[in-house]
Amino acid sequence: MSSVPVERAPAPPGEVRERAERGESPLGRLTGSPLVRLIVRRVLVAIPLLLAISVLVFVLLEAMPGDPARNQAGMDATEEEVEAVRKSMGLDRPAHERYLSWLFGALTGDLGRSSVSGLPVSQLLAERMPVTFELVFLAFVISLGIALPVAMLAARKPGGVFDRIVMVGSMTLLAVPNYVLALLLVIVFAVTLRMLPSIGFTPIEVGLWPNLQSVILPTLALAIPLGCFYARFLRGDLVEQMNSADYVDTARAKGLGPWRILWQHAFRNSSFGLLTIVGLNVGALVGGTVIIEQIFAMPGLGQLMLQGVGARDTAVVQICVFIFAAVAVFANLFVDVMYAVLDPRIRYGGR
Amino acid sequence: MSNSSHASRRRGGLAALAATVGLILTACSGGGPAPTGNDGEVGEPQAGGEITVLLDAGFAGGWATGLDPATSNGTGANLAQNSAIFGGLFTLEADEDGSNARIEPNQAESYEWQDDGLKLVVKLREGIEFSDGTPMDAEAVLWNWIRALSSGSTGAPVLDLNLDLEPQEHSQEFMDSLWAALPADVDRDLIMRRLGAIRIVDDLTIEMNFNSVNGAFVNGLPTANLNLIASPTAYAELGADQFKVTPIGAGPFVVEVNRQSERLELTKNENYFKEGLPYLDALNFQSVAGDQVMYQTLLSGQGDVVEGLSAVTLINEARNNPQVEVHLGTPTSPYVVQLNTRKEPFDDIRARQAIYYATDFAAIQEGLFGGEGDLSQSFTASGGLFYTPEIDGYPEFDLDKAKALVEELGGLEVELGTTDIVTARSVTTALQTQWEKAGIDVTIDAKPLGDVITKFTSGDWESMLQTAGAWDPAAGIGVQVRFGSTSPFSGTPLPEGATSAADAIAQGLRSPLDELLAQAVATVDEKEREAAYVEIAEVIAKEAYGPFGIAFSPAQVVRKGVHGPGLTTPIPALAVNTGVLYDRVWVER
Repeated sequence: MSSVPVERAPAPPGEVRERAERGESPLGRLTGSPLVRLIVRRVLVAIPLLLAISVLVFVLLEAMPGDPARNQAGMDATEEEVEAVRKSMGLDRPAHERYLSWLFGALTGDLGRSSVSGLPVSQLLAERMPVTFELVFLAFVISLGIALPVAMLAARKPGGVFDRIVMVGSMTLLAVPNYVLALLLVIVFAVTLRMLPSIGFTPIEVGLWPNLQSVILPTLALAIPLGCFYARFLRGDLVEQMNSADYVDTARAKGLGPWRILWQHAFRNSSFGLLTIVGLNVGALVGGTVIIEQIFAMPGLGQLMLQGVGARDTAVVQICVFIFAAVAVFANLFVDVMYAVLDPRIRYGGR
Repeated sequence: MSNSSHASRRRGGLAALAATVGLILTACSGGGPAPTGNDGEVGEPQAGGEITVLLDAGFAGGWATGLDPATSNGTGANLAQNSAIFGGLFTLEADEDGSNARIEPNQAESYEWQDDGLKLVVKLREGIEFSDGTPMDAEAVLWNWIRALSSGSTGAPVLDLNLDLEPQEHSQEFMDSLWAALPADVDRDLIMRRLGAIRIVDDLTIEMNFNSVNGAFVNGLPTANLNLIASPTAYAELGADQFKVTPIGAGPFVVEVNRQSERLELTKNENYFKEGLPYLDALNFQSVAGDQVMYQTLLSGQGDVVEGLSAVTLINEARNNPQVEVHLGTPTSPYVVQLNTRKEPFDDIRARQAIYYATDFAAIQEGLFGGEGDLSQSFTASGGLFYTPEIDGYPEFDLDKAKALVEELGGLEVELGTTDIVTARSVTTALQTQWEKAGIDVTIDAKPLGDVITKFTSGDWESMLQTAGAWDPAAGIGVQVRFGSTSPFSGTPLPEGATSAADAIAQGLRSPLDELLAQAVATVDEKEREAAYVEIAEVIAKEAYGPFGIAFSPAQVVRKGVHGPGLTTPIPALAVNTGVLYDRVWVER
């Protein structure tokens, strides 16, 4: 019997979707995954959110009191000079026209030029983003590096000497604003001990150690308050788990040691809460760079944004805020994804 | 340069926060007024070495619009950078003690007013070359002056040039180079007319022709972009964008690294026209946020000089620190409480006089400034030109008279505005206390600079604590800006028949005070100018337009072993900051 090629009729759309959802094809496996659906949905939500943020920033900049052209020109400038500065800053055009022009430019990859320096915004970002991202990354790592062991040790014996020291110490450090902490760190490590530089940033191309030396103090100024917050949160959650959770009693009944229960069982459950808090605080961490970069004269995005706000440099401020917002949005998306990865019971977008 | 920039250096809450922390930290370290104690023997200058100068990011340490003099909006603030790179046609010099301040030709050899002050002839020194080896001659100066006046920089002075003269013929090469360096939309007809007003006499001589006499023009030059001469050849080679970053001048130093508004690294110009200068091999400028951080950076060893430390508590702290020396400048700009005569309550001279009588700036000088600074009765101070310590008819502090006037008025409610900076806020609080003793009800309104400017321009203000003055009263935020009737930052009466400042300008109307202000610059005779300014100060006092107060100059704080004019020997501030002469700065090695 000869085989007769059978032309397969295209499957009805509903069937394609069902197959995809059953994961019967690679594409289906991909698009049918709740995780992918989650990511796609959240990215789609992020787009109007970021758009709204850009509008809000533009409106806020417009609503700021004072005349940016006069500010830039100085009090002794003539009206003609002020008008020339206004023109050079592009402020002689209507606000909506300036916003739309910026938006279309940004969507097509043209971020425009700084109205103050005249330099391409993309060039400014390329120079400054590595500084801020290094600072944020290190602060993130160090804050967790402080929080995890401290919280575990404190939760091991709630009310013990170490726990009390941690609670008092972390509360004290939490009460100190990061710019005060920054100045105190400078006084101790740069002025008194002369161990570390008080200002400036050395790129990693110059050398790893000089680079690390230049970022240690600003990183600590950012990481210490955050680490204290995480430590207090995690310690509280761990203590609660250890005192009240049934699975902890079961583990104890099985004869597991307290460290093993703490690490393998309680921490695993507490990590969900910590993950949420860490995600929510990424925005605060990035925002904290604005002041810290200023104090340590670090040429990062935060410093650029502050200079931009002062000079009402819309193109610069818009993109800086946009990047900060995007980092916060995507950090939260990452947390959601991590939930799904860590806990298979969690289902997203299921029918 | 402007006081707006002066105030803008403290822009943002960060500086205020840092200063507050600074106050706490300083209090902990027991700072208090102490003798300067910087009178040690200084040896002969030594060549070599390198220093890092710390500049406030909000003012001198911000050069976001670049360092091309023609397009920079920071020539007045960036005196340090410009002095190092360009040197300048003229410099402000003073004796060792800061007295006898005068404009001296630097790259220029001399200047002369001709035609009854309508023509300025400037002769250049022979043999000066830019650091790229090309000559700095009259043609280069002309190229720079036309660019400086025609490229939109706020560092360009307002000149009443005689534009009716026939343009001078120049080579095609020169004209091509000039057009290429001007904005694309420049008014070419105006440029040609300027080429009639500014003319080359010979290779080293250039003249500028005016319609009216401007006696303050040369005195204002050191803060203007006309003073800074750059290499036209280098501009053509580098292009506009790169020239803003690495401009080529004929100053004592050459740009090696320029990270805009962050760090500027310079090395010695081996081609410098002054034999044996500069002393330093390298000079760096580091931008730092605020007084507290600048001071800490100096103590940490990452800087050698803080230019313009203004927080009084930190200055006192520095005086107690044996590692550093503090040198106060000679002040030129006193505080003034401007009173808005165009609206209630200060449209009534009795209310204005009550403020004069209720104000005791001597007590504020003692209490807040540790007795430092000058007390002034006019718009300049001991470091400034035409300074007269006592003005006839100035209503001095007299609480009884103040109380009587307030009673006569049936009470007085006043809003006192100021720029939201630490020192100004302290002064307003002290004034509030003093005025309330006279029965005046005071509300303080401290706002960021942008809001203060808006408030001024709206006309909706009653009284405002600001600073007024410059080395030459006509320059920068001088008396004209604070008291000229058509200035947006003045509260003096409008000319008769004018409904607004714009209307006065349109109709060409002038108030009696405007006439006097115009007279004060309409002569190049210094004695005549001095007499005019004394008369202006007397009119202000008689009409009670605003009591003047303390003139306090920011301090130069240097690590021991650093010396130089403008750092360890005072030079009056031209407007806000002192023009340090970096070619003569040296370090003990």
